[in-house]
Amino acid sequence: MGGPVAWFLMLVTAATMLFILAPLLVTVAISVEASPFVTFPPRGFTLAWYGRILADSEFQQSLAFSTLLALGATAGALALGVPAAFAIVRHEFAGRGAAEAMLLSPLIFPVLITGVALLQMFATLNANSTALNMLIAHVLVTMPYVVRTVSGSLLLADTVLEDAARTLGANRWMVFRRITIPQIAPGLAAGALFAFMVSFDNFPISLWLADAQHNPIPILVFQRIANVFDPSIAAISTLMIVLSMGIVVAMERAIGLRRAVAI
Amino acid sequence: MSAAQAEARAVVGSPAAAGWWRARSARFIPALLLSPSLLFLLVFFVLPAMGLISYSILTQSPDGTVGLPLTSAHYQHFFGTPLYSRVLLITLRISLCTTLVAALLAYPTALVMTRCAPGLRRVITMIVIAPLIVSVVVRTYGWELILANGPTGLLNWLLLATGIVRAPLRLLYTEIAVVVGSLHVFFPLMVLPLASALGKIDPRLEDAARTLGAGAWRTFRRVTLPLSLPGLAVGCGLVFSLTAGSFVTPAILGGTGAQMLGMLVDQQILVVYDWPFGATVATVLVAIVLMVNALSSRVLRRRDTRVLS
Repeated sequence: MGGPVAWFLMLVTAATMLFILAPLLVTVAISVEASPFVTFPPRGFTLAWYGRILADSEFQQSLAFSTLLALGATAGALALGVPAAFAIVRHEFAGRGAAEAMLLSPLIFPVLITGVALLQMFATLNANSTALNMLIAHVLVTMPYVVRTVSGSLLLADTVLEDAARTLGANRWMVFRRITIPQIAPGLAAGALFAFMVSFDNFPISLWLADAQHNPIPILVFQRIANVFDPSIAAISTLMIVLSMGIVVAMERAIGLRRAVAI
Repeated sequence: MSAAQAEARAVVGSPAAAGWWRARSARFIPALLLSPSLLFLLVFFVLPAMGLISYSILTQSPDGTVGLPLTSAHYQHFFGTPLYSRVLLITLRISLCTTLVAALLAYPTALVMTRCAPGLRRVITMIVIAPLIVSVVVRTYGWELILANGPTGLLNWLLLATGIVRAPLRLLYTEIAVVVGSLHVFFPLMVLPLASALGKIDPRLEDAARTLGAGAWRTFRRVTLPLSLPGLAVGCGLVFSLTAGSFVTPAILGGTGAQMLGMLVDQQILVVYDWPFGATVATVLVAIVLMVNALSSRVLRRRDTRVLS
């Protein structure tokens, strides 16, 4: 590539990068805004909104619930998704393609509608434990991501090493524990981080199932956007952006960002 | 050792028995590995989805219970009421605009991403993917700050300060605001498949076209574009179906100015408590998404067979 075409492409790409970063940078800038209303141009610098948010008991409750929910969902998604990924990558059997399509199908179905369908089922069955319902729903939406990321890692793992270990007398379990797991450990870590973030960020499932005692952070932010007009929302948002960037860096270190999100 | 025991040991130890055991475990192990996840999906995904869809053809009695007789009244109500047809139309229009703009912007980005130096590629990849890990609510809030109506919104303030406009523009609560927000949310899902497809193209093909006298545009149109169609099909399918099914972005940036199907489902179920009608709107949304996915995978398949033949 060279000449005016290359310059044009670079210019469009640069503009696109600015477009992608703009809302995140604006949110961070507003979170330190001194005036009690969100306005441009900014009036001054303060960290007071962070202090106020961290002392807010509603926020603390949401943060604790979101964290526990995301940890639980990640554990559930790994427990169900990792064996499934092994089956579809490492075994030949009739209906393997169908099994894979089924495992990834929640990614195609509109998540919002998955949420309504679950709400309807839980209501019909009189299943009233909000925490348990939300855990089930979050495992459902995070599991396909684990299957995708872990399958990707398994496809790249070297099976020759496993054959060698088997030839040298290792049994199936030893091969799995000593050869396979260390090879795919970064993939597992990336899958777990991604699942955690998918649950922590989820809105369209929680919208239907949350209640006042079990109110994840994205729902809290959404509710406050409608009726709180000070920069405290920007402070919560900035904390979430910082957490996401931490996860991004960790995923990039583990197996590379592109492979971690597996698109 | 009795004769029977000896015989049993001989049978187990024989190659035939080992083969039988291997054949059996070959089927047994994947079933064991898959059954928890597939069972979970059956109970908490397939059955609820079917239950919801079946609600759309059932009748709700005044006391709120849903049951027989079967009816198509909800679908007639949906397609026969201008208010609801308008929501459907707006949903399709916003999804289509978002997909087209995303494709137009994604080509340059994906091309630069696949052709530039590794260091720059890493930076662009990070910037493209990172927002995917940030909650949609947070990103949409950022757009609300930028697009806010009145002189205190960032974009309006910039336009007024530079003298481009005299009075603040009405940006928020419009379809354009929803397209901008959706574009931001789903852009990575267009760039990444496109970059994968572009990365697979042998650069020598483009060099050959150039050597044979084709200009930059003609090379793109006759070589690069056709070969990148699989990535484009995947990206368009993803962006269109995810935009059509979105809720947060139209709720915050569109409001009543650009109501979409997802908001109608929410309103019918959580405000009106009309489960069958909410289920009907949901089913229409699912049908759109599945049709778009079928269309994009058909484009993929047709290409594959053409390449093979």
